[in-house]
Amino acid sequence: MYWTRRSRLTGIAYLTPALLFVLAFTAYPLARMVWMSFHKWSLITPPSWVGLDNYRRAFADDQFWVSFGFTLKYTAIITPILIVGGYLLALLVSRGSPLRRLTRTTVFIPVVIGLGVSSLLWYWLFSTDFGLINRALMDLGVISKPVLWLGVDADVSMLAIIASVTWKVIGFGMILFLGAIQAIPTEIHEASLVDGASWWQRVTRVVLPLTLRTVLVVTLVSVIGSLLAFDQFYIMTAGQPQNETATSVFYVYLNSFPYLRLGYGAALSMILALTILAFTVVQLLLTRRSHA
Amino acid sequence: MGMDLIYAPQFEDAQQLVDLTDRISAWPELKTASKGHMTVATFENRLYGVPLYADVSALFYNKDLFKQAGLDPEKPPTSLAEVRTYADKITALGGGVKGYYLPGNCAGCNIFTVGPLIWASGAKIEAAGPGDEPLVGDGVKQVLQWTRDMVKSGNVHEGDRTENGETFHLQFGSGKVGMMGTGNFNITLARQQNPKMDFGIALLPGMAPNSSASFIGGDLVVVPKGSDRVDDAVNFMKFLLSDEVQVEVYAKALNLTTRSDMVENKYFEAEPLVQDVAKALTVGRTPYTLTFFEQINSPQGPWLKMLQRAYYTDDNLDTVIADAKAAMKTIANQ
Repeated sequence: MYWTRRSRLTGIAYLTPALLFVLAFTAYPLARMVWMSFHKWSLITPPSWVGLDNYRRAFADDQFWVSFGFTLKYTAIITPILIVGGYLLALLVSRGSPLRRLTRTTVFIPVVIGLGVSSLLWYWLFSTDFGLINRALMDLGVISKPVLWLGVDADVSMLAIIASVTWKVIGFGMILFLGAIQAIPTEIHEASLVDGASWWQRVTRVVLPLTLRTVLVVTLVSVIGSLLAFDQFYIMTAGQPQNETATSVFYVYLNSFPYLRLGYGAALSMILALTILAFTVVQLLLTRRSHA
Repeated sequence: MGMDLIYAPQFEDAQQLVDLTDRISAWPELKTASKGHMTVATFENRLYGVPLYADVSALFYNKDLFKQAGLDPEKPPTSLAEVRTYADKITALGGGVKGYYLPGNCAGCNIFTVGPLIWASGAKIEAAGPGDEPLVGDGVKQVLQWTRDMVKSGNVHEGDRTENGETFHLQFGSGKVGMMGTGNFNITLARQQNPKMDFGIALLPGMAPNSSASFIGGDLVVVPKGSDRVDDAVNFMKFLLSDEVQVEVYAKALNLTTRSDMVENKYFEAEPLVQDVAKALTVGRTPYTLTFFEQINSPQGPWLKMLQRAYYTDDNLDTVIADAKAAMKTIANQ
């Protein structure tokens, strides 16, 4: 009994730093946000209790739901690109050769750049007057006059932003998929070769099933990241044209800070967070079911 | 502390700034301090700050393009009708040159450079607070119609539609724009970008000849509530407004003086462009509202929406203005 109690205390001692970290940087901010969502608070005036008013307002706020719809559309388009593209890149660089290692590094480098910096870089690349993309396309004869990439047509703007984000983050998925692919024992590959399986058959019948868990994790991370998209839209289009490329988080940001409506912003954040939680739970349940 | 002057009324209303009325209101320097700054530094007849830094908007024009188009480079336009006439001639030069510039996706750029066109035309833009009426005066529709006509007549680059403010400061220096509303900061930038370009500065005009206005922006020095060093802050304010600092610090660095009576100085005399842009202080104003960001500066706000519909669609302008008015009133009434 002495050892059990001691080992229990030792375990708690080891857990304490992590617990404190989670309490300070996750639990407390979340609790504070819940509290804020029930108040009217501009930050420069004292908060006042308003109950569910912020939530009632949020459900009646057309702009929030338009932004939410756009965010879902963006997520639905970019997620398959990142997953399929990342997986194909991982297959491409999974064997060791100098060129493949160079490719791996080149594709991964943009991952370490901040999203804000990357968005600014691509804003300038897509610039109608000063950008290299239009210049290159015109010099190659692909277009005869500059394309208005950002802030004029919502779909063109979204595709331009998807291109920039794909450039930046596809390497992250590639690395995770690469780790999963390289973890497959060589004997399994050899056995499938002996059985006469083609490359495609090996990929679809052997590699993909054995890396499915990683695919689902990367998909989950990608979906969450896309549902929380902000930097790229704030910097590259500022939600233009006519708020058609304003994401949910962009709207939350505007309400919370420039409009000085922290309470309302907190309520919008809670709705968004609960929606993402619901998506995550559904995805995890589907994952478990597929393994069962 | 220094703060963006445009948000001062909001902080004053929230009682977050120290009331300095009894300490500074009798200062003679304040009689000639920037009117725009002093307007927003005042709330319910109480004074909360003094000017720290001044930015003004003006009409920059490319004298080289003027000469090529057969226009007198020493005679800038004094009305929007003249701007249109001159722009037509400059655009006709071709070679990627356009007569004017209208930023399509930047609310702040537009209040800075199109707002004064509306003020100069005798109209009002923002709702100051609950119950106040925004977008009042025929000048609103007249200017919106003028901007629409400028776009339709091809006097602005198509790429202007994508401008969200990131490259706004580079447009005039490109040498491809005949005339453009921009700020005093562009004097140095344009010279660095295009040293050979000869350009001049005039006041932003309105519909009627010789009408003009400017947006006075910049910062105020204010004291946050709870400060233990109010006396020191007040001494610093006095220092900033002194003759010596106005000339030997502001003017020497070719920054605008924050007192209009200090515009005539040896440094500005050696730089006629700075002297020209300083004239904007006398006709300038600063919007006064408790909800500036949401009404005007927000990328999702009614001001930018109204302008985009005016510039790039054929929507009925009365409807466009009415929609913006309703949205701005809703915001102001919160």
